[in-house]
Amino acid sequence: MKSSKNNNESEKKQEPVTIQYLMRTLQQLQSEHEALKRELLKSRRIPSGRIGFAFLVIGGATLAGSVVTSSTTLAFIGLGLTFWGALFLFARPVRFVKSTLLDSTALSTYTTVDRMVSHLGYKAKSIYIPPYPTEAYLPEYMKGLKEMIVFIPAEDSTTMPTLEEMAKKQFLLKRPKGVCITPPGFGLSSIIEKELKTAFINIDLERLTNSLPKAVTDNLGLAKGFEINIENDIIHAKIIGSVYNSLYSREQELKSIHFLGCPLASAIACALAKTTGKLVTIAKEKVSPDLQTIDIWYQTLEG
Amino acid sequence: MNFPLSIWDISLWIAVMAIILLVTSELIGPYSDYFGDFVIEKTRLRLTALILGAAFMGTVILRVAMPY
Repeated sequence: MKSSKNNNESEKKQEPVTIQYLMRTLQQLQSEHEALKRELLKSRRIPSGRIGFAFLVIGGATLAGSVVTSSTTLAFIGLGLTFWGALFLFARPVRFVKSTLLDSTALSTYTTVDRMVSHLGYKAKSIYIPPYPTEAYLPEYMKGLKEMIVFIPAEDSTTMPTLEEMAKKQFLLKRPKGVCITPPGFGLSSIIEKELKTAFINIDLERLTNSLPKAVTDNLGLAKGFEINIENDIIHAKIIGSVYNSLYSREQELKSIHFLGCPLASAIACALAKTTGKLVTIAKEKVSPDLQTIDIWYQTLEG
Repeated sequence: MNFPLSIWDISLWIAVMAIILLVTSELIGPYSDYFGDFVIEKTRLRLTALILGAAFMGTVILRVAMPY
């Protein structure tokens, strides 16, 4: 009886504390909401294209006015406005998309692989197989070897499919059992190659590790930070603020993302496989709880 | 109804613009294409700066060839 009375008293004491806590949380959430609203307004500002067009029109009119009035000042103003208008139109990026769009386009690939792997009951593992150089001569029936593929084995072994099987461009392989698919980061790796103005096959690992961070962060803006280090046959990549980080979130519940890697991680695996000429697998990955930092350890295997 | 600027006026204007753009493209060179809310393509900016620089050099050559 006494103990229940004590419990009631302590509950009554706790109640205002809880309300205070809730009020504080509510205030905090409201201020966060306001900050997000401001961010949204910022992102919806007038695009540089419209500003450029307005400058161009006003500049053209001023130039025409300078001819009519024979005013040097008006001519300089008009020339300046026209030039900056044209520059705004020329230098503005034309094909930037929201990063959320990138996630949604990549999502279907991973969902398909998830369904496939769970249906076939395969082990969650992937092996990136380097292709033959495009310049290399191969007979017609072996041309399939020039394509970058990733092999998902049925069992946890590193036995590789035969050249003949890979050359036939088969999807379901029998010896060893597994499936061969195009890596999700294949297209991205081609874009990185274009950005570096060289094929990954033609460069060594040291040059790749030196040039890849700049291409990923500055040139393509795929991540805020990127580091890559070689530790014998293990290559550690640290991706900070990746545009694909939401694919790792628990809401998506993707399994294949962990063994294939996100498109960026997959593109790095493709690059490593092409540069080293060896098989590459994702040995380990670690994603921070806020999804901002992704650590991936790649391992090169002798084929 | 004549255009009030001579070729030498335009040459001077091109020189000023070329300097502004070359300095800007050099300063933003090490950074990414994003500057807070502002997005720009650095390669195109640099290309414009170089074209303007070349245009100015062209007018200088013209001035050397035709001093008066």
